[in-house]
Amino acid sequence: MLPFIAVIHDISYILHGHFSSLSAGAYTMIYDTPRFFPGGDRYIEVELGDEMGFELNFRVHSLSAAIRQSGIAGLIELIPEMASLQVSYDPDRISYDDMISEIASLAAAHGGSADAELDSRLYYVPVLYFDPWTTECVADYRAKVADKTPDPELLCEQNHLEGRRELVRRHSGTEYWVAALGFWPGLCSLMPLNPAHQLIAPKYNPPRTWTPKGTIGLGGAITCIYPDQTPGGYQIFARTPMPIWDREQRLPAFREDLALFRAGDRVRFIPIDREEWDYIDAQVAAGTYQHPCVSYQKFSLGKYRSWLADSTAAGGADV
Amino acid sequence: MFEVFKPGLETSVQELPGRIGYWEQGFPPSGPADAWSFRLANLLVGNSRDMAALECQFIGPTLRFGRDGLIALTGADMRAMLDDAPVPLWTTVPVHTGQVLSLGAAKFGARTYIAFDGGIDTPVVLGSRATFHMAGVGGVGGYALKAGQTIPLGAAPAPASLRQVKPEARPEIAASGPRSVECMLGPNDDWLDAEAIETFFSAGWSVQAKSNRTGMRLTGPAFTFSDKARRKRPEHGADPSNILDHGYPLGTINLAGQTPIILIQDAPSTGGFINPFTVPSAALWKLGQVRPGEVLRFRRVEMGEANDMRRALDAVCTDASLERRLTAS
Repeated sequence: MLPFIAVIHDISYILHGHFSSLSAGAYTMIYDTPRFFPGGDRYIEVELGDEMGFELNFRVHSLSAAIRQSGIAGLIELIPEMASLQVSYDPDRISYDDMISEIASLAAAHGGSADAELDSRLYYVPVLYFDPWTTECVADYRAKVADKTPDPELLCEQNHLEGRRELVRRHSGTEYWVAALGFWPGLCSLMPLNPAHQLIAPKYNPPRTWTPKGTIGLGGAITCIYPDQTPGGYQIFARTPMPIWDREQRLPAFREDLALFRAGDRVRFIPIDREEWDYIDAQVAAGTYQHPCVSYQKFSLGKYRSWLADSTAAGGADV
Repeated sequence: MFEVFKPGLETSVQELPGRIGYWEQGFPPSGPADAWSFRLANLLVGNSRDMAALECQFIGPTLRFGRDGLIALTGADMRAMLDDAPVPLWTTVPVHTGQVLSLGAAKFGARTYIAFDGGIDTPVVLGSRATFHMAGVGGVGGYALKAGQTIPLGAAPAPASLRQVKPEARPEIAASGPRSVECMLGPNDDWLDAEAIETFFSAGWSVQAKSNRTGMRLTGPAFTFSDKARRKRPEHGADPSNILDHGYPLGTINLAGQTPIILIQDAPSTGGFINPFTVPSAALWKLGQVRPGEVLRFRRVEMGEANDMRRALDAVCTDASLERRLTAS
């Protein structure tokens, strides 16, 4: 097997702890100042903390935005991730030491203050829960690889849900934050913004050799959307007819890009039925589908914190 | 233009600096695995050194030229023939419409570059012609060459003189014995214990057959981990080599369980394994010429030496490394 294929299941985290204990910000592990680690002579890993949580990830994106705006000479590109970002730089224009001191001073100026705001597009993603394609994919795996509990039932079991309806309510009842993209073009890691809607799941072992394009998966505490037919390791239970990746750039949303999402976007899953699936699918095939997107909003950290405090006090309100 | 008779083994269009600016969405930079040989090939035909050219891997293609022009082959020796005549490496070669260039299997090394005067003129996708064939991006319709395709070439610049690369400016493609590859500590060397770091730099690492443009897997001694890896927060994952998803530098030694994988041009952008060591940019070309079964030994270098190496290599990839051809082909 190619290394790429062999590695792909490891996009999932294995979480043993209860994620909810982290989500309300009660216990955080965010460093006072960034830590820098060289990756060869052209890359720097900038670590901002040691946990998986929204506050820390927001800081990663705030710092990324500040670095981009600063126009540091010799900066090439950034990969913001969960708790860190990777900086590519041209060492013939700026030294490692100078680059880290520039970033350290930007980090000092752009901490996690409540007035922090980021541009954030909101995408509505139509989803057919318990669709025939992921159902078939799971059945195929159970028949040929391992007789595991079917994914929707496993998700219910692990999260103490009454059944599939409650799973849909929990999964679709929150906005998600695009925390990072990577591993495969357009593959997104989504964090629920309402911690009351947090779901967790173990990953497949061994991984699946195929996953239908547009499948919604859940691994660790992260939801993902598979941009294309690829191997995978997350539990799968839904599918979207809306492309999030289009190498032929046919649809209007892909005029400038091949992948739909940028980190810092938000996603809301809209449950649909088979009739709506067919309607959207036909529009996609005709090249006329318009991705439902709201692009005029900013995400305010301070307002989010107040909302979170209120909703937590109220016992977990809906978004 | 030229026609593809036989595609070879995943022969692809590559360009420098590759696809820059889309790594954060998961698109790797791509580009030639051995940029040293690639740049010299371009210079030999009078191109700027970063223009689009072909990268052949292990088995080269058979092509027929649709116009007169200049070509140059560098890198691994794939016993190239132009019609019935052997084609010298590291040399400008004039070609004529209808002539057929055929490459065989690499005698040593892994990758051969074929540059054409005027460069390859396939469409630019996300800022680059470089091929990332695993996701169908760039190159010829997103993928490696296929038989029957016609590949467009750019307009040839003013005719270049026939030149060759000075012997001292050529990369050492064939490894006699273990290949020494420079390597730096970091970013995640503190996840290993001192003994594992010592072992990494003293052992021989054999390259597995499971190797391609995403990376090469190595076989060698087991790794032992530091407290940081063993007593970490649960969201990093269960295995000592697991870490919260983070960016993967080009040239990094990614440790998946006990298997080190050197990540090269088409590697995944991010993932959940540690990267204890990284090959600096000036040594990446060596990885492009490594064959399965070869043994690598990593020589530890610091930032200063990596910087010196990069500047020296940059100076070698210029016209100053070319000289008038002394012998006819």
